[in-house]
Formats: sequence, C-alpha cells, structure tokens
Amino acid sequence: MIQFKQVSKVYNDEVQALRGINLHVKEGEMAILIGPSGCGKTTLLRLVNQLETMTSGEIILHKENIKQIDKIKVRRQIGYVIQSNGLFPNMTIEKNVMIVPDLLGWDREKQKKRFHYLMELIGMNPDEYRRRYPHELSGGQQQRIGVARALAADPPIMLMDEPFGALDPIIRLRLQEEFLQIQREVRKTVLFVSHDMDEAVKMGDKIVLMRNGEMMQADTPAKILLHPKNHFVEEFVGEDRILKSLKLYTLRDLVKEVNLCSITDINDKPSINLDASLHHVFSMLLHQGYQQLAVVEQDKLLGMVDISVIEQFIRLEQQKLL
Amino acid sequence: MSWNKRIAIIVKLFFSIIVIVFFYWAITNNMLSHITNEATEFLALLKQHITIIFISGGLAVLIAVPLGILVTRPMFKKVDWLIVNMANLGQTIPSLAVLALAMGILGIGIKAAIVALFIYSLLPILQNTIAGLESVNKQTIDAAEGMGLTSLQILWKIELPHAAYSIMAGIRTALVINVGTAALAYLIGGGGLGVWIFTGIQMFDHTYLISGAVPVTVLAIAMDYLLKGVQMMVDPKGLRLARKIQHMEE
Amino acid sequence: MESLLNFINQNAEQIIQYTIEHIELVSIAIIISILIGVPLGVYLTTNQALAETILHLASIIMTIPSIALFGIMIPLLSIIDQGIGFLPALIALILYSQLPIIRNTYTAINNVDPKIRDAAKGIGMTTFQRLIRVEIPNGMPLIMAGIRTATVLNIGIATIAAFIGSGGIGVLINQGISRSNHTMVLAGAIVVSILAIVADLILKFVQVKFTPKGINN
Repeated sequence: MIQFKQVSKVYNDEVQALRGINLHVKEGEMAILIGPSGCGKTTLLRLVNQLETMTSGEIILHKENIKQIDKIKVRRQIGYVIQSNGLFPNMTIEKNVMIVPDLLGWDREKQKKRFHYLMELIGMNPDEYRRRYPHELSGGQQQRIGVARALAADPPIMLMDEPFGALDPIIRLRLQEEFLQIQREVRKTVLFVSHDMDEAVKMGDKIVLMRNGEMMQADTPAKILLHPKNHFVEEFVGEDRILKSLKLYTLRDLVKEVNLCSITDINDKPSINLDASLHHVFSMLLHQGYQQLAVVEQDKLLGMVDISVIEQFIRLEQQKLL
Repeated sequence: MSWNKRIAIIVKLFFSIIVIVFFYWAITNNMLSHITNEATEFLALLKQHITIIFISGGLAVLIAVPLGILVTRPMFKKVDWLIVNMANLGQTIPSLAVLALAMGILGIGIKAAIVALFIYSLLPILQNTIAGLESVNKQTIDAAEGMGLTSLQILWKIELPHAAYSIMAGIRTALVINVGTAALAYLIGGGGLGVWIFTGIQMFDHTYLISGAVPVTVLAIAMDYLLKGVQMMVDPKGLRLARKIQHMEE
Repeated sequence: MESLLNFINQNAEQIIQYTIEHIELVSIAIIISILIGVPLGVYLTTNQALAETILHLASIIMTIPSIALFGIMIPLLSIIDQGIGFLPALIALILYSQLPIIRNTYTAINNVDPKIRDAAKGIGMTTFQRLIRVEIPNGMPLIMAGIRTATVLNIGIATIAAFIGSGGIGVLINQGISRSNHTMVLAGAIVVSILAIVADLILKFVQVKFTPKGINN
C-alpha cells in the first residue's frame, strides 16, 4: 500500500535527513515510526503527503508513484492528524470535520450523514458539538475531532504525527484505546509517528525504529522486543523489553504453546481469565503471597499459571521468532 | 540570486532613483535656493522648530514616564485601564485639532504651540511606558520578590530595563510626530519651518514650498533614525537576544 | 462656549456639508488603500526580501510629516496641473495608509499558527483555498485593526489637506485662522475630533463583528 524505495533526503546540500529508506506498509497495517528526536521519522511521514520533497528514491502509493500524482489530489486521499490537532479556530466543529469532503464537493446531505457517523465513531454527540468552536473543547476532545477530520473523506491512508503527544497520560491512554477500536472498524493503512515505546508496542502492527535518518529495524513489536537487531535498538526499547513484550500476549496465546501447572489446592488462590494479558498475570504473581493463579475460562478451571510457565513461554516465543 | 531578492532590489533601486531624480529636479530648478539665499532666516526657523519639538517633548517625557510608572503600581491598578483608554482615545484626535483647541484657549503664539505639542506627546509616551512595564514577565517579578528585592529595587533592576525599549519607542513616536505638528505651529503663530511651507501654499511659490518641506522631511527621518539608535542602545542585550529568538521561533 | 454652540447651530448645514466631504475623501482613500495594501501584504508573506524593503519604505513614508509631503507634492503635481485640490490629498492619504494596512496584513498572515497552516496543506488545500478559508479569516482581527488605524490617521491628515484645497472640516479651521475667528477654529477642531473618535469606535465594533467566532484573543 505504501512503499518506500531507497528514499533519501538531504537538507541544504549537507544535512542528510534520510538515507536509503526501504519500507513496505501493507494495506490495513499500522506502522509506528519511532526514534530519538531528529531521527527523521516526521520527515519520512511528511514525504508521503508531499509536505516535504525527497532528494532521491520513490514512494509508491497503491501502485502509483506519488511523483506522478497531483500533490493536492494525493493529500485529499490521505488523512492527516498532527500533534495539538491543527484544527482551524475560525471554523465550527462541523466545518472542521467536513473540510475535505467540502473541498471534494460532496453535497450537503451526504456531508451531514458522514458527520453524524464520524461523531458517533469518536464517541461525541454530533448535535451537541456541531456548532461549537475548537477553543471551546478540551485537548482530548480536540484531538478526537482531529481524528474525525482525517477520516472524513474515508481515505485509505492515514498519517498521524504524534497525534496524542500533547495530551496528559490518562487522556492519552484512553485515546489510544479509542483509536485502536476505530482502527478495528475502519482498517486504514496507518503511518504513525511516536516517541513513546509503550505507545508503539500497544498500537503498532509493525514498529520502524530509526536513528540519524537510517532505519535500524522494522519488525513486529514482538520481534523488536525479543530480538533487537543491534545495540542501539536494544538500548532504545529499554532494559525492560522482555517485561514490555508480555503486553503483547494473553493467557490464550500461552496455553496454545505450553502446559499449565497441574491443578492443586486452589482455595486461597485468585483466579484469572484466559483473555488477561501476560503483563497483567505477571504483575499479579509478583503480588505478595501469590505463587500461582488459577486460569479459568467461562467458570471452567484450566490449570495453574506461575512465573516459570511464563518464562518457558517467552523463551519459546523468542526461539520461534529467530 | 533568487527572483524574490531580485524584485526587492529592483523596488529599492526604483525608489532610490525617484529620490535622486527629485533632488536633481529640485536643485536644477533652484527649488532649494531659499535655504542658501536666506540662510539666516532658515536657521532661525529651524532653531524655532527644534525648540518647539524639544521643549514640548522633554516636558512630556518628564511627566509621562513617571506617570506611567505610577499608574502601573499595585495601588493604582484600578485606574490603570482608564488611563490607557484615555491615552488611546486622545491619540485619535487629529494633531491639527489639538493645535486649534490650544489656540482657542491660549490664543496665538509659540507658547500655545508648545502646550499643544506637549499634550499631544504625552499620550504615546504614557501608553508605551505602561505597555512596557506591564509586559514584564510576571514570573520574573515573582522570582525577584522571592529573593527579597524591594519594590523599588524591582523597578530599577528589572522593570525599567525591561520596559526601556518600549518607553523609548514611545518617545520616538512622539518626537517624530512632533516634527510634523511643529510644522503646523505657524498656523497659530508659533513659527518654525512651517512658515515657509504655508507661505509657499498661500503664494503658490514652489521654491518656498520645497525649501520648507524638504528640511522638515529630512528632520523627521533623521529624528526617527537617531532615536531608533537610542532605542537599540537602551535595550539590554539579553532582552534583545530573547526577543530575536522569540521572533525566529515565530 | 455659548458662542460656539451658536456658531454650530447657525452653520449646521455648512458643517454637515464639510463633514460629508471629509468622509468622502477618507472613504475613497481607504477603499483604494485596502485594494492595494491587503493583496500586497498577502503577497509579501511569500517574498521575505521584498517584505523588508516595502515595510521599510512604508515606514519612511509614515515618518514624513503630512504638511511637508503636501509641500513636496504640490510643485510635482503642478507639472500635470493638479497641484492643489482633491488629487494630492487622495495620494497622500493612500500613501499614509499603506504602512498600517500592509504591515498588519503581512503580520496577520504570517502569525497564523504554523501547525494550522501545516494541517491545511496536509489536508490538500490549494494555496488559494488556504488563504481564503484559513489564513485571512484567522488574520481578520489584525487586518481590520490596520484599516482602523489608517482610517483614524486619514481623518486627521485630511483636515490638514484642507489647506491645499481638498475641502472637508479642515476648511473651518483654515478660514477660522485667516479670519481670526476662534469660534470657527474651535468648532472645526471639535467636529473633526468627534468624527475621528466615532470612526474609531465604529471600526472597533466592525472589527469585533469581522472576527470569526471561534477565535478568542
């Protein structure tokens, strides 16, 4: 869907912002671009909607080379969300959300319907907010509107430049959840810039780690966490990378691979559902006094889980990913 | 060179040529001849002109700056907005009207002219003094208070250095306007270079017109440049840097 | 005071006539100035080098005292037989309006939050759409403020222009001075001051009206 071929960018003939980036983001995939500031992640994103121009290489969108499509036309087929939203303060919420459909010449009725759908999608009451202005909304609400605006003309591709970066941590977590929910419904091809590894692990189908304009590793979150390609990646993802990787799996994944401990006396042991994440299970096990937890599915006891079972599973995953 | 720069240079050249052509025309037609032929009178008028400007301007500085400091003190916070609004309103009144009013009340003569210019200069200086003092970062003052500086020390060491640029901008505006208003002083018997301009208008004498108007123009532009220099000088370097960086970020 | 009111009463018709002339002159000048200054201000945002040059030139023009500018323009315009009257006054007013209008337009457009501009580009607006839908609406308060400054300034300068035969309220002051009629001078001064203050208030109101509702200052 989005294909970067040997993409390079040089600023002012001297600063190499990007070197030979090769990357393929498949349809419906969410790829997180991450790295220290100045690594070129935002530049790479902005090449796609041609807010920046590349020095050499090619970007293919849907089998079309972007150089051959009109800049304005490309942009209208790409949803764009930026940090602190960039909503137009002079326009109402409805005008803001419907700006691209309006530019594309949709009729009034179609716009109205779409506005309704989008507002429901982001969980805001369409009639309550229709005539409000961006400055009357909270940061989280503004960011939701920013997402709705990007989705307005149903573009196949979304570019998101640290969309939740300016929000406070609790709101950020909630918006991440909401966006994952939305993504499950709309299935866009998403390029997402982030500087937060937890966000990347949580949101990404693929994580692209960059440094100094070069791509260090582009893999699934599990592979990045369990098999960092080099020292830089290892350092960037953090010493707790194994711990982070536990967020990627649930007990359901675990029971497919390894055997649970046999059922012992469960009277004083708390039970846990099969859909719980291993990260959650692990932290419960660290709780005072719990050496084992009872794994249940719909009131049926499947077995016991302890730290060694989790360790065994992660080892196995690590080997499988080699 | 880029097209943008080229256009800018062409425009600059164009205007420079206009100025040069004007002076060539004025000199070849003896338009400035009164300045040399009647040098004594010219100097007398010039002196009168400058006297009017500086006496009125100087008095205005002496009154407006302390007044601005006073009304920004906490105890006057409530009348602050009133003064600012009055200064704003006062500046919408045309300069000629102020001169005319002064004549209506004080009669004809240089004193009436000086009083009119004094009142007219008060407003921009007062306005800029207040604006400059109020633009000082509240956190900076908070920090100073926290370190135990007295309010007088805060005024001298922090507020006035911060506001110097703005206060000087007000003085500059006032004095440049004064150059022009002083040229109208002739109308109420105040003398100055306006004498030649109005004589020129009344007698359809272009030589008087140009001999009066060109020096007034040069005086205004020179005053502006000179005071711009002073304005840069009174601006503490650290603040200049801060402003520059802020400007670049914008 | 009484003689002043009497004078105004007796000459009401004439004073209204002068006021209309005054408003006419200033309105024509402001409309032309907007037509020149706003597009120029917008264009300058795309040409940094020219912006500096033009703003510098406009600020030099602004420092030239109006009576001196008339003094210089009369001999020059006499060449085409327009030395005194409406034309030199109009030219002067247009020249003096340029700085506030160009500078405010330029600053207004330049000050639009870069993130908003970025969003507008990223969404696929053309340069023109961006200007019309985003940049000018968001810069409107500042642009209107420039027009207001120019108008108030012009009302004052138009008074001085009466001395070169452009008509308007300045005629009262001019004639009052030459006839040593203080009442007439005062009447002129007061009427023109009221006109300037009223124009300022009206334009302040218009400025608020023109500000898109969502923009809080």
